[in-house]
Amino acid sequence: MSIMMPVPDQAILDRRSSIVAALREIVPGEGVIDSAAEMQPYESDGLTAYRQPPMVVVLPDTTEQVSRVLRYCHDNGIKVVPRGAGTSLSGGALPLADGVLLGMGKFKRIRDIDYENRTVITEPGVTNLAISQAVEHEGFYYAPDPSSQIACTIGGNIGENSGGVHCLKYGMTTNNVLGCEIILINGEVLRIGSKAPEQAGYDLMGIITGSEGLLGVVTEVTVRILKKPETARALMIGFPQVEASGECVARVIGAGIIPGAMEIMDKPAIHAAEAFVHAGYPLEVEALLICELDGPEVEVDELIARVEKIAKDCGATTLQISNSEKERLLFWSGRKAAFPAVGRISPDYLCMDGTIPRGKLPQALTRIRELSQKYGLGVANVFHAGDGNLHPLILYDANKPGEMDKAEAFGADILRACVEFGGVLTGEHGVGVEKRDLMPEMFSDIDLAQQQRIKCAFDPQGLLNPGKVFPTLHRCAELGRVHVHGGKLAFPDLPRF
Amino acid sequence: MDILKIRDAKDVEQAVQAAIAAEQPLEVVGHGTKRAVGQPMATNAVLDLSALNGVTSYEPNELILTVEAGAPMADIKSLIDSKNQEFDFEPMDTSALLGTASLSGTIGGTIAAGLAGPRRIKSGGARDHLLGVAAVSGFGESFKAGGKVVKNVTGYDLCKLIAGSWGTLAVMTEVTLKVMPKAEHEVTLVLHGLDDVTATRAMSAALGSSFDVSGAAHLPQSAFRGATGVLAGLGSQGAVTLLRLEGIGASVVHRANSLTAALVSFGKADRCEDEASQAAWVAIRDVTPFAASGPLGAWPVWRIVCPPASGGAFGRELARETGGDVIYDWGGGLIWAALPPSADAHAGLLRSKLAAIDGHATLIRGSDPLRRAIDVFHPHSEGVAALNRRVKSSFDPRDIFNRGRMTRA
Repeated sequence: MSIMMPVPDQAILDRRSSIVAALREIVPGEGVIDSAAEMQPYESDGLTAYRQPPMVVVLPDTTEQVSRVLRYCHDNGIKVVPRGAGTSLSGGALPLADGVLLGMGKFKRIRDIDYENRTVITEPGVTNLAISQAVEHEGFYYAPDPSSQIACTIGGNIGENSGGVHCLKYGMTTNNVLGCEIILINGEVLRIGSKAPEQAGYDLMGIITGSEGLLGVVTEVTVRILKKPETARALMIGFPQVEASGECVARVIGAGIIPGAMEIMDKPAIHAAEAFVHAGYPLEVEALLICELDGPEVEVDELIARVEKIAKDCGATTLQISNSEKERLLFWSGRKAAFPAVGRISPDYLCMDGTIPRGKLPQALTRIRELSQKYGLGVANVFHAGDGNLHPLILYDANKPGEMDKAEAFGADILRACVEFGGVLTGEHGVGVEKRDLMPEMFSDIDLAQQQRIKCAFDPQGLLNPGKVFPTLHRCAELGRVHVHGGKLAFPDLPRF
Repeated sequence: MDILKIRDAKDVEQAVQAAIAAEQPLEVVGHGTKRAVGQPMATNAVLDLSALNGVTSYEPNELILTVEAGAPMADIKSLIDSKNQEFDFEPMDTSALLGTASLSGTIGGTIAAGLAGPRRIKSGGARDHLLGVAAVSGFGESFKAGGKVVKNVTGYDLCKLIAGSWGTLAVMTEVTLKVMPKAEHEVTLVLHGLDDVTATRAMSAALGSSFDVSGAAHLPQSAFRGATGVLAGLGSQGAVTLLRLEGIGASVVHRANSLTAALVSFGKADRCEDEASQAAWVAIRDVTPFAASGPLGAWPVWRIVCPPASGGAFGRELARETGGDVIYDWGGGLIWAALPPSADAHAGLLRSKLAAIDGHATLIRGSDPLRRAIDVFHPHSEGVAALNRRVKSSFDPRDIFNRGRMTRA
């Protein structure tokens, strides 16, 4: 592990057995796990390169238990790491040696479905896909669709502000949640928002979403649901150069068309995916663009014709249009399986997640290729091209000495390049531990201090998920100090009226 | 009163540092068109950002605009209009309702107020379109948050807190916003004569369809007392329920036909297209029936947000009990209520009823004494109120910005 985590507190570790006993008082039965063997599944999340057994795992199943566990930890200065399904790709749920791992997997009930208000109230342990499944018989769905949607939970989605291929048109988690019940580290239970389209006062839901488990633990979520579009069809377009596919994406958006999804794969990704799922991808092209249009049939037909024209103008060499739902899903099957497909051609891979302005796609790809040569490691690229979100998959072999470090350095260089091109370090996977130490590439000390002050407003002792997101831990007292700059008028030349 | 006229972002930092040193609270102002919203402030100096009005960058193909906070809305709108783009959250122009001069307000004021228009039900509010911000905190420090790309989860989303904070957290100096292509065509279906509850049901049915409705409003007959122009024409036969469809021509026609058929049990729908439709939605967005210059100009006006399906019953009862007028937007989720003057502008009645449906109300128009007498913003539960205070302190510990605007002393 090449990242420093907060040093475990020996005084806490020394009290482990009494802590376990106290937690058992709160969560009886099998809800407290303290044996090394049984804790093993919780050692890491989707970022498997990082592992750490927690001090103890707690699996509460009521709001009251969560509140009491947090209050106990608060009163005793014990760190807490919340966890949903553990699918985070940035190490957001990586345990701490002296911390309680708080698993929310038992909160599995959907509490309310309201078609008139177009909302679902659900517990946080319900999977993303299960929400859509619960309302699909009425033709509704929940729009954000991270590729882990079969496993990832809505609670985790709130923590990470998860996206997915359709967020170009329908937004990310933050654009699709209305309210929650959240428990602060001191055990206080707060209700934020409701089924109303806006909340009163400061947008607390907006700051909680994407806070990576550092502000509180969500025990209930209100999301909005949408009626499914009448139809969806996809174009699968091959280009002889990756740059041409990027240009096509820019022109589609520039023409005022917002597709449901727009994804690019480069040659290594195409080949890996085709070998894995046999989706019928053209193997001779350098880039494959999958563009999905949804809406009424007349609209989809018209937009497909417009995209087709743009694609040809951009030099597309192959173009297929799905003529059935089966075919549309086949087009997607390779893209959706791209990560495991790459997993078959390389012993290990590292998935990056930077975002760049769409127009910088060609430069970014050139840079990634140069870096690939520099580091001597292969890379397969899949992008959410419509919103400039890159997912380069860096291929390496962890069993070869030094290769993982090389892969991480390669990844960090890609993310630095994203910032250099006017983009950001992470589009949807979160900062977690993975990108924590790169935060200064994008933010000044002052920017980061302002973010940490929000953390202090929720968790002044810094007990919730410490070691994530922020490269340096500051004490809240220090961050809260106002530096008064003299007593004199600091701007004598400013016009006054 | 001291008015500090800012020339550039560096001036803001200096002015704020000086205000901290002098313990002098500042009223943060762009054009000052919304100064009369909120509790009367305990400030005696004005930080005037109107000269901070440049366009930093506009990339139509990226759908991204970066401008200084004091940039006039009128200028920005005509800039993006020249590329056939717009703000998808359809920000409200408050000048008719508040009776402010011809100034259009600034982008900073628009974001700080967060008053989104009819399309919010489909496209979200100001908070969903603010991608990045540069600002000066009450620590006297310049900071930035978010970014200049549409998809970003790097660090805390401070933009969400700043949008809708009425200038109480930080002084924005520059904002980056998402813009969207304008729709090629729009049609509004008009249902006639529905009562508020039935209209809410019709709007719920429309919004729960796959026809991508981008506006759902209901105007009871009495709301036409102060209506002018296109809106007055629509209301000549009584209450109307309006449902907007936008997009490419063939799609809009198809959806209009399908939705008309789906709603046949609510009556026969008329149509109003393009310019007429646009004018009607601008009037609804800006609540012109309650204009300061109109017959209800002297009445206090509330902005009520509630679960949409509860809107009709709530609004009807409120109008009946107070003798006031209501207009519904967002499928019933937003109710504008002009209520006859009373000591508390019916705040007590309104809020006790809202508690039952999980809604909240903000007084948008009211006299100075009225705004001193009641909570202009909806009071929170104790825990949430305390958290709001801690959030405020985390940006502005000395309470320098717009002191007292959102919470009554």
